[in-house]
Amino acid sequence: MSATPDTPATETDTVDTDAAVTDTDTVENDTVETDSLQEWADALVDELGALCSTVEFDTVRIHVDPARWVETINQARKKLELFSWLSAIDWSKDVEVGDTVEDVDALEERFEVLCRLSSVENADGAIFVAVIDKENPSIDSLMPTIGGAEWHEREAHEMFGIDFVGNTNLAPLYLPDDFIGNPLLKSYPLLSREVKPWPGDVDVEPMPEEPEVTATDDVESDEDGEES
Amino acid sequence: MTDLGMIHRSESAVSIELQTPDMTLNIGPQHPSTHGVLRLIAKVAGERVTDVEPVIGYMHRGYEKLSEVRTYAQITTLVNRIDWVAGFASEVPFIAGVEKLMDVEVPPRAQYVRMILTELARIASHLVFMSSYPLELGATTPLMYALREREYILELIEEVTGGRFHPNFNRVGGVKPVYGGGSMTKKWSLDLPEGFLQRARDAMDRMEQICDDIDTLVSDNELIKMRTVGVGVIPRDKALEYGLTGPNLRASGVAYDLRKVENLLPYDEIDFDIAVRTGGDCYDRYVIRIEEVRQSSRIVRQAVDQIPSGPLQTKVPRVLKAPRGQVYSRGENPKGEFGYYIVSEGARMPYRLKIRSTSFSNLSILKWVLQDALLPDLVAIMGSLDFVLGDVDR
Repeated sequence: MSATPDTPATETDTVDTDAAVTDTDTVENDTVETDSLQEWADALVDELGALCSTVEFDTVRIHVDPARWVETINQARKKLELFSWLSAIDWSKDVEVGDTVEDVDALEERFEVLCRLSSVENADGAIFVAVIDKENPSIDSLMPTIGGAEWHEREAHEMFGIDFVGNTNLAPLYLPDDFIGNPLLKSYPLLSREVKPWPGDVDVEPMPEEPEVTATDDVESDEDGEES
Repeated sequence: MTDLGMIHRSESAVSIELQTPDMTLNIGPQHPSTHGVLRLIAKVAGERVTDVEPVIGYMHRGYEKLSEVRTYAQITTLVNRIDWVAGFASEVPFIAGVEKLMDVEVPPRAQYVRMILTELARIASHLVFMSSYPLELGATTPLMYALREREYILELIEEVTGGRFHPNFNRVGGVKPVYGGGSMTKKWSLDLPEGFLQRARDAMDRMEQICDDIDTLVSDNELIKMRTVGVGVIPRDKALEYGLTGPNLRASGVAYDLRKVENLLPYDEIDFDIAVRTGGDCYDRYVIRIEEVRQSSRIVRQAVDQIPSGPLQTKVPRVLKAPRGQVYSRGENPKGEFGYYIVSEGARMPYRLKIRSTSFSNLSILKWVLQDALLPDLVAIMGSLDFVLGDVDR
């Protein structure tokens, strides 16, 4: 079990890129805020016995041992009372549609199960993250203690194929009963795109003296593709 | 309502012959009272609902998957179709999240335009509720009054954005570009339409008037009270457990409003109150929305008075690429917390976009709250949650 998350540690210092336009520089303010948020997150990690925390863009992520998932969430609910949502991310090298991750070779294939709780007194809130492995993805269900988790888990189950042990009603929520596959997996093709290529691609005409744009090769040469 | 229950119980106790076997009742998916295509499979014992299973997904459009193959600029077209009754309000948290990722500063005037339009969307959404809820309880007249007033709001929204329901008006770095979309309009500097601010003020007069009218017509009506007071009570802990937000949560006594705690829009420069009720029943969920319209109208009045001058958009690169990172951005939709969890891997399109839609969580309590309710109350309880199926199914 790879409980140690590999990406977050490097994510905090990648804020500055070429895409960002900064007229007024508010970096100093941001760092002060991020620091106090980081302290709050660290205190929460200690209190709950979680693994570690990351804070970026005012979003607190608390990494939790999947074996202690239900216990940790329920403990956190004493302070962060509102169950906001539960979902998952598929970190995959096999990407059928859309972009891959920035550094594909270094990617460790895994599911991240996310659950957000927030306080109803102030702006506090955190996203709890459990990393589970893709071979046999399963995690304990929150449904017995948080009734609202039922639908969210059903959605994650049909979309990602994650098994929530203890959820008594994992019937498809959105999809038809006879649907095969887990649509939100990165390896799942976008079926309408299979039948007919995206019409938007046709509009992307190459600028004079620029190499031909293909459907997969996009960003740099695509000057006019933005607004339509 | 307790009286009816007593009669029911006593009757079945006296004459055993009258006991009927449990019946399964199918409601929908095409039913006028379900706000769209929602199907309920209800098990009823006489007049009492013993179990109900909501079936959703008839309108699932797969926006989370589609977003993975759309650029950030294109996704705003999708997200305002989630909750179409208040399309503008769903755009703002998304675009604010992208701006946070890209570290783009939004000009104050654009912030105020966003705030005014969000509040107008809130009023429009609540007016739909104020019209449809009495209708579900059997009162047809309020529908005409409230929907007539909604036209004034929709006209204002259309005037600014060009769309009544789907504004698609937000851009990264502001609202609709200062330089128009095509080359024909490149020299035009777009601003709010002339006289818009005054027309917004005038419309607010009407909104305050319709709130009073609806209060007189509906809120104090004895029949409406009989149908709603003490019906479908949701206690505080259950509301939090099921992730209820917005007016539904505030009707259960939790003074939680993202306009006060989040800083997407300059609500801190505006003086307004959070409407809170403590009963947690259908009546409170209904009355609280009328109060919210009054508060929204207060916000709009102050915002049009205080709106700063300046550009509506800041300069952003033509090809928008968000740096690597993950952000959760949420705002107060008319129905509650509307959030986007954006996972960016440094490309033009998000790697994953989780949409936390309000009505999905609000509706998930339906099964719990309908337990042991009376069948005639089913529609009253369901309607009071004020959901939109597009928002449930995404």
